[in-house]
Amino acid sequence: MKKLLAGTALFALLAGGAPAQDLKFAPGEDARFNWQSFTDFSEKYNLDGQSLTIFGPWRGEDQVLVESMLAYFTAATGVKVNYSSSENYEQQIVIDTQAGSPPDIAVLPQPGLIADLASKGLLAPLGDETTAWLRDNYAAGDSWVGLGTYKGKDGTPALYAFPYKIDVKSLVWYVPENFEDAGYEVPQTMEELKALTEQIVADGGTPWCIGLGSGGATGWPATDWVEDMMLRTQAPDVYDKWVTNELPFNDPAVVGAIDEFGWFARNDAFVDGGAAAVATTDFRDSPKGLFASPPKCYMHHQASFIPSFFPEGTKLGRDADFFYMPAYAGKDLGKPVLGAGTLAMITKDSEAARAFIEWLKTPIAHEVWMAQSGFLTPLKSVNVEAYGNDALKKQGEILLNATTFRFDGSDLMPGKIGAGAFWTGMVDYAGGKPAADVAAQIQKEWDAIK
Amino acid sequence: MVQVWTALFTIVLGIFAAVSWFWGANFCLDRLLPARTGDPVRNARNIHRAGLIRPWLFLGPAILALGLYLVYPVWESLFLSFHGKSGREFVGAANYRWLFADPGFRESIINNFLWLLVVPAASTFLGLLAAALTDRIAWGNLAKSLIFMPMAISFVGAAVIWKFVYDYRSGDDAQIGILNALVTWFGGDPQAWIALPFWNNFFLMAILVWIQTGFAMVILSAALRGIPEETIEAAVLDGANGIQIFFRIMVPQIWGTIAVVWTTITITVLKVFDIVLAMTNGQWKSNVLANLMFDWMFRGGGDFGRGAAIAIVIMALVTPIMIWNIRNARAEMEGR
Amino acid sequence: MANNPYRWAVHLSVVLFVVLWTLPTFGLFVTSFRDKDQIAVSGWWTALGSATRNDMFRAPAGEGEVEEGGRFTLTGSVFAGAGGHVKAFGISSKAPDAFAAGESADLGDGESLTVAQDGTFTLAGPESFKDRRGQRIFFTATTPPAFTLDNYRAVLFAEGLGRSFLNSATVAIPSTVIPILIAAFAAYALSWMQFPGRALLVAAIVGLLVVPLQMSLIPLLRIYNAAGQALGFDPKSYIGIWLAHTGFGLPLAIYLLRNYMVGLPKEIMESARVDGATDFQIFTRIVLPLSFPALASFAIFQFLWTWNDLLVALVFLGPQDDKLVLTGRLVNLLGSRGGDWEILAASAFVSIAVPILVFFALQKYLVRGLLAGSVK
Repeated sequence: MKKLLAGTALFALLAGGAPAQDLKFAPGEDARFNWQSFTDFSEKYNLDGQSLTIFGPWRGEDQVLVESMLAYFTAATGVKVNYSSSENYEQQIVIDTQAGSPPDIAVLPQPGLIADLASKGLLAPLGDETTAWLRDNYAAGDSWVGLGTYKGKDGTPALYAFPYKIDVKSLVWYVPENFEDAGYEVPQTMEELKALTEQIVADGGTPWCIGLGSGGATGWPATDWVEDMMLRTQAPDVYDKWVTNELPFNDPAVVGAIDEFGWFARNDAFVDGGAAAVATTDFRDSPKGLFASPPKCYMHHQASFIPSFFPEGTKLGRDADFFYMPAYAGKDLGKPVLGAGTLAMITKDSEAARAFIEWLKTPIAHEVWMAQSGFLTPLKSVNVEAYGNDALKKQGEILLNATTFRFDGSDLMPGKIGAGAFWTGMVDYAGGKPAADVAAQIQKEWDAIK
Repeated sequence: MVQVWTALFTIVLGIFAAVSWFWGANFCLDRLLPARTGDPVRNARNIHRAGLIRPWLFLGPAILALGLYLVYPVWESLFLSFHGKSGREFVGAANYRWLFADPGFRESIINNFLWLLVVPAASTFLGLLAAALTDRIAWGNLAKSLIFMPMAISFVGAAVIWKFVYDYRSGDDAQIGILNALVTWFGGDPQAWIALPFWNNFFLMAILVWIQTGFAMVILSAALRGIPEETIEAAVLDGANGIQIFFRIMVPQIWGTIAVVWTTITITVLKVFDIVLAMTNGQWKSNVLANLMFDWMFRGGGDFGRGAAIAIVIMALVTPIMIWNIRNARAEMEGR
Repeated sequence: MANNPYRWAVHLSVVLFVVLWTLPTFGLFVTSFRDKDQIAVSGWWTALGSATRNDMFRAPAGEGEVEEGGRFTLTGSVFAGAGGHVKAFGISSKAPDAFAAGESADLGDGESLTVAQDGTFTLAGPESFKDRRGQRIFFTATTPPAFTLDNYRAVLFAEGLGRSFLNSATVAIPSTVIPILIAAFAAYALSWMQFPGRALLVAAIVGLLVVPLQMSLIPLLRIYNAAGQALGFDPKSYIGIWLAHTGFGLPLAIYLLRNYMVGLPKEIMESARVDGATDFQIFTRIVLPLSFPALASFAIFQFLWTWNDLLVALVFLGPQDDKLVLTGRLVNLLGSRGGDWEILAASAFVSIAVPILVFFALQKYLVRGLLAGSVK
């Protein structure tokens, strides 16, 4: 025991005290930022001595990023912010809110879970003023208001969650030089994408790397595929009905979208490792095939976060790049974009919590994260020049050019479906089960939780 | 440095509180009902009375802690299992009716029975083997620590370890999972092990056996050491060989401990869920009850009623083991 | 027992056992020293010897080029720091092994590329290589084993690791000692004291072994919060988590210890009782010392569980930076998507160090055979 304690003491000395978080960009210096909004906010709020606990999904590098943004909130208001996260944040938030010891602010990426918390009366409504603000200041404001509005304990809908930070999912990643070596062009339409897929096979290559493995969440990458195909084969309102189950899961429209995904994923020649490898390949390992020599595949469909799993030293724009997952030219559905994002909500009402929601309305709260990495925003008043790199700016453009923006459907569905039956169904589908059977099974499970 | 001292102080304080309760309570009891008063009648009465109270002094803290941390949640679960999603509205036996009609539940319970058949038997047998073998050799302690290591590794670590065993790459690619590397080296075709319905159960069980063997080994090794030397010496003099001594002399003497290890691992199996969650999350028909329960409890806000109903089923499954233990305990008492 | 073939069989079986049991862990151990990009593309065993691999190197965009008589040359090595033998190289992803080492590849526009066997490349052309994308050089090479300490560096020097280490120790040590104390008394009562309802109590304890932890979390945290509010203390404290671990660990502790104590020879207790010893004296002076192997083995397991636990710690202590336990800190290193294998591997070995030390420290008590000696 003595040895052990000596060891702990040594560790404590090594660790030392953590330095106070400095502001990443000195206020007033960089003209890209809206410093006015920072000083205005700081004049309006003086909450010295108050504290705020925030529980969110960001860990590792993302935690450093969010804390750099929170430092500005602290500098402006004097509120001491304590941000934390955990691996099973979903479970943690259920336990903490149910037991009556919630954080002040929770940030969650799953609307399905938020709906559940709201219906149990565990969230504080954000008020009509915020609803109006979102409608006016976010691009496609109504869809964001819709995303943040849920039914409360008494069944009346109200705005409970504030969308902040979004990710674009309709992206296809590729290595530009590999395309040049083989003489391929970036496809502009889904027809071209399918033709390119066949062309690559004809040239003796493998077009796609697809991996659905994700430990306990195995199957989710396929749900993004199906949602993207849904938006490219059906009108947006069909998509909306699908995620609320007004349109049953086994409707031919949905089965058709699943089979569109199957066109890519269930063809041994189209995917690296053959169709059998799709379900078990880990989604984190999957993109590495793009960079193999010779390349194991030419394209990879994944959301904007995936570069963190590219080989070390990969420079976006040079070593790897992305293009918009194109839409069918033959179907008049415009340019739909699938996205996901996180929403902030008040789990314990206080002056500081209200101030934090107000803070998220300032351009500076968006710009300081934009200027670093991994952050997109639909806030119209931010300076797009503040985006930290070209890739982000390009994703911002995809977002701006979108004629339709839809939130990740599996996140909108009830947790048992969107984070359960849908995943399992996609794994079964990748394993060879017919789309109609898979869809019928998911619908059956949806009926069981109604 | 402050943190070190606070930590040390709290550690000492916590342990001191526990020690002082037992010592203090006994001291008080001896003072209140002294066994040596000079009056023989009073002495006998005091001893008798103290004998009635003392077991509960010994058991008190345990019963208190068990009551609060385990019995109360069981009651709460029982209550929840008759209520709806949010735990407020009474729904009668609806959750149980749903449960027994649910194909996911049927799949899980069948898998669970498979696990119950294989894992406790395999772990106990291998643990016994490891304990017996390592006790006979000079480097036994080292071997024991190595076999024990899986027990000590954190769960996150274990999941990665087995990823690098079961990982599957298609035929032409270099395998990074050692099992498929061996299979291809011997000329076979690589398999996606954890995605093979039915058989994947056994690949998942292998992980738990790998972990629990260390547990069985440690407990059984302590029991083997407790066997009086005379019994073995006598057998040696009678000319018995090692295997005969082991099965005829040693195993019968530690039969009680083998049963305990078996029971404990059986219960661990009933509760196993992190292996399944991390490796497959019950996909490819590999679900088990505890994972099903976790799923209903916490995923997407959860349904406490159904989650609790599954928990009650898990707890009900342990009844045969309880009955068997009651009978054992009764037999012990009579033998005394 | 001294005959040779028999001893050999024992040694061999143990060797086989140990190899089977450690091979998976050894794989992770090797992985923890490997380069991040290699982990997902080749098996860990390939890292032990020299391996042939296909790789790509991007020549710098003009830095270090030399101009001589209107011709620009750029040289360097495709092995960044490490050594190896180039077999073949290529300039296009379509044909990464088009040229044998030492040959000259024509890049068009009067430019050429040569890669020698030792990895030295020479890029030559009539124009500067500046302001261009660096030339991609594909090569097939045999490289010696290469290991890195970066993964451990990333884990060991993570911010707040020391504090989390301390938090884990603060949680785990009392959470091991308190249940043992309580369980030892209870186990003695259940095995050597006469009172009504004893068998039933033993059965109830076996039944409680099976209570799923997840079920207990919400009701218990609710009690903690209510008590905290009523009495004005922080519901998420060390005392709270010690008691929680105690409650969850007790059934197994009592079950294991009772089983051991029941097996102690009756004669010792009886002779002590005849000598006028009270139960408390019998327990502290005879039963407790005799039960040392059982106490030590339970201590090992309880320590492991509390040290490796994440769920109970997050619920009863919280995820805040100043209270985060080691497992929580290591998991958070993995990032929001939770998966850099190399960090996972290194952190698994960082967190296993303490439990293994505890095992070694307590192992001698497991094997001392206290009982066997004292019976005589």
